[in-house]
Amino acid sequence: MNLEFTDVSYGVDDTEILTDISLALESGEIVTIIGPSGAGKTTLLRLAALFEQPTDGTIRCDGTDPWGLSRDDRLAIRRRIGMVFQQASLFDAPVARNVDIGRRVRRPWPQRIRGFLERLLPRRLDDSPAVDERTLEALELVGLRDAWDRDPASLSGGEAQRVSFARALAADPDLLVLDEPTSDLDPRNTAILERAIERAREHDHGVLLATHDMHQAERISDRVAFLLEGELVEVGPSDRVFENPRDERTARFVRGDLLYDDNELFA
Amino acid sequence: MALEFIAEPTYLRSIIRVSLTVSLTAIVLSTLVSLPIAFVVGFAEFPGKRLLTAIINTGMGFPSVAVGLLVLLFISNDGPLGTLELVYTPEAMIISQCILAAPVITGVALSAVESVDDAVRDAAYGVGGTRTDVALITLKEARYGVITGILAGFGRAISEVGSVLIVGGNIAYADGTSKTRTITTAITFETRRGEFETALALGAVLIVLVLLVNGIVLRLGGR
Repeated sequence: MNLEFTDVSYGVDDTEILTDISLALESGEIVTIIGPSGAGKTTLLRLAALFEQPTDGTIRCDGTDPWGLSRDDRLAIRRRIGMVFQQASLFDAPVARNVDIGRRVRRPWPQRIRGFLERLLPRRLDDSPAVDERTLEALELVGLRDAWDRDPASLSGGEAQRVSFARALAADPDLLVLDEPTSDLDPRNTAILERAIERAREHDHGVLLATHDMHQAERISDRVAFLLEGELVEVGPSDRVFENPRDERTARFVRGDLLYDDNELFA
Repeated sequence: MALEFIAEPTYLRSIIRVSLTVSLTAIVLSTLVSLPIAFVVGFAEFPGKRLLTAIINTGMGFPSVAVGLLVLLFISNDGPLGTLELVYTPEAMIISQCILAAPVITGVALSAVESVDDAVRDAAYGVGGTRTDVALITLKEARYGVITGILAGFGRAISEVGSVLIVGGNIAYADGTSKTRTITTAITFETRRGEFETALALGAVLIVLVLLVNGIVLRLGGR
């Protein structure tokens, strides 16, 4: 899915969180948003995943403004987008049911009600396997194929986050929106998720990622966007932004050289 | 006396039947009203939400005698529902138990719904869920709290004495079987008659019934 922000602003009450954001992302591309805490990264991602409607400007998904569509038509677009959050937020159900939730909510209601009734009975009415192959494939992408019947409470933080990534992948989205998915993970779990992100790109998924990890941003991004106090300071190819940033504030941020002067960031 | 009571299964069965019919009907009806309210209040932001929550929480402590009196005023011949002739009927007891149980179920279920992390709701929305899906997933996450609320409401309803005495009248037919006599009002009646052993035996039956219903509901809820 091609995603395009044109002069997008977003605010709550009288507080403007994002101002005039223009950014594009194409299928098979990883665009990473970097910026200090409170810069508006999560808000930008929530707008991209159609959680919120811009207060100004336009977001287009494959050329269509989803906020100009009916709720059902917008839902169809939203269902092409998968979002992973900083916290795994798994549901109180076995791993497999967490992973296939995206496909279950897409089923027609009669089928869903039948599935619910079947689960109430001690034994299933049919002989279908307890977990389907698509769920296992998604779990395999994050190295957890054998964990399909585990309780989320028994998972480590890293495993839970990998399951939440599999949950987003299992619905086969065209666009993945990832909000600091590796911020609490150890290097091994981070590496597994980064590999899964790159596999998603290979399958022509677009990926919009927010991270505080500059090495990660440099490692896996095609393009990097630096967000500061709700404004996009600089967008460009990853190599160029990190090696030769055009804006002084970007240069200082990627160097980890945050400066405060008279309480003004980057004064 | 207790042995006599056990030897009168018809008497016992009729009291248990009236108690369970009235309380279970009241719980089903109040659950149908309470859960949507808990969900709307739990999900939506609107002016007066805190006041409404405070009213619900206050309702959890409604004095049952006062509720019985108010219901009686409504259903008495001169009351707005007088034409329905509900005084001293099981239906009147159902109404008063509904009023007593509904705030309990609403309050506990609301607390359970509000305790579900916003991140879980976001996750449900983020996998392509509609608002209905998000509500259902939230309900599932809050299910133990919701079940606890229903059980607390049932506990309040079946152990209720004051209001059912006022609107039900603790009436038995000439053959001794119950019309509006419940286990709790029968205990009161037997105690006043000095039949303490019968009252104790009925108390034991009440406790067993509550335990049984709790066990069945918790089992169905997967706990």
